[in-house]
Amino acid sequence: MTPRAKVLWMIGSVCVTALIVVAWQMIANYSGIPAVFLPGPDRAWRALVTGFTTGDLTQLSMATVERMIYGWVLASLAGIVLGAIIGSSKIAREYVAPMLEMVRPVPVSAFMPVVIAIVGLSGGMVLIVIALGAIWPVLLATVHGVSSVEPRLMEVSRSLRLGRLQTLWKIALPNSQPDILAGMRIGLTVSLILAVIGEMLTSEAGLGYHVLVAARAFRSADLFAGVILLGLIGLVSNVALQEIERYMLRWKQR
Amino acid sequence: MTPPATRKPLIEFRNVNHAFGTRPIVHNIDLTVGESEFVCLIGPSGCGKTTLLRMVGGLLTPSSGQVLFNGRPVDGPEKEISFMFQDYSKALLPWRTAAGNVSLALEATNVPAAQRGPRIKELLAKVGLANHADHYPAQLSGGMQQRVQIARCLAQEPSVLLMDEPFGALDAMTRQALQDEILRLIAVSKTTVLFVTHDLEEAIYLGDRVVALYPNPGRVAQVFDVKLPFPRDQLSTREHPEFLRLRRELFDFIREGEA
Repeated sequence: MTPRAKVLWMIGSVCVTALIVVAWQMIANYSGIPAVFLPGPDRAWRALVTGFTTGDLTQLSMATVERMIYGWVLASLAGIVLGAIIGSSKIAREYVAPMLEMVRPVPVSAFMPVVIAIVGLSGGMVLIVIALGAIWPVLLATVHGVSSVEPRLMEVSRSLRLGRLQTLWKIALPNSQPDILAGMRIGLTVSLILAVIGEMLTSEAGLGYHVLVAARAFRSADLFAGVILLGLIGLVSNVALQEIERYMLRWKQR
Repeated sequence: MTPPATRKPLIEFRNVNHAFGTRPIVHNIDLTVGESEFVCLIGPSGCGKTTLLRMVGGLLTPSSGQVLFNGRPVDGPEKEISFMFQDYSKALLPWRTAAGNVSLALEATNVPAAQRGPRIKELLAKVGLANHADHYPAQLSGGMQQRVQIARCLAQEPSVLLMDEPFGALDAMTRQALQDEILRLIAVSKTTVLFVTHDLEEAIYLGDRVVALYPNPGRVAQVFDVKLPFPRDQLSTREHPEFLRLRRELFDFIREGEA
């Protein structure tokens, strides 16, 4: 795409967004849906502004982001370490793979009662659930990346007499970089979802609980403000990760 | 099948056989390569030339017989033997720069980090890539990528260099440039080279000896001594009567084998 076309596309997408906001305002004003259920963008915006200036929206956002990132980092580290162990050993792969395939499709929410029974209804439980949910994309990507190294590179490694650990660290793991980063990006989305659900369940302070309480109290403007914020958090974190990915995989560009 | 008596034997094949399953690949190979000798293996596909190279490189164990290096049987990749692959695009780490790829060989031999930088610089300069140290393989031409691999092999400071059709995928001009470069580098380091190719002229141009193999299964058919003066030159060497005679002889030989 030429820079000129890029700018035109950006103007276009901004226009579409603006149009949707206008339509939303019209529906809120004229459709007769009660304001306790549907606030206009004007009221949602005001709720955001007051939330940040006089309220505790900053704190709540930080709490949710923190939860999301802790769980995600935990999941990513565990996923990479476990994936490297499983991926680099054929025996481990054969023994563990069927079990992974069985556990993976189980929705993490189904594990929640189990985790609650073990650690109780707490912030720690939320963290564990986030990690449990977000580990899969990273784990499976690492297993795949580590076990699918170009055979020629494995010969180079043998020929240079690199040890097992050196081969893993210098060849197999870097080889998995694109897979791992893609997995981590999916994991981040999962982390945000589970952070919100976890807060709703445990009443831990955060945007998830904030949204739930607002809905129960028919404070629709606060509810929408919270949802918009969560959307923004998802967007910003995804774009940030995309940029990191682009930098780390710069060797792929010609 | 022995080198001139003046050379000390460095690599010896002793009655080497290899089979994949029941299919014989190479049969009763006896061959000795002397120190600092440049030996080219040539033959049609299916003659097992790459198989022989992989045995010396310790990447493959023969079904029977022995491959000796310095009088000891090879039982795995040796530190002093460097293997250079044909498919440079697969043999380099795409996520490492040219310098990083050369560094891999130094890391493998535990050269301290502080000493690597100057060594890499010197090696890349040797292969004419001083200005491309920070380029990733995808940003380099095929010839440059193969130069990176040469530098990585040289980083091992090998006494034996095994080259598996290293210039087969390159265009004619680049191939000639790299042929001269290898000869120049080898002349200084006195490295022994075992060079697999399917290009007759390349074999004669580079080698001290050319070993021709029969296919299915691979057997040593004939060994040609190349008595051409050094340093070799792309024009005068290739016009030398001895070059033309050998070329004719090898050509007839290959055609005979295919008939």
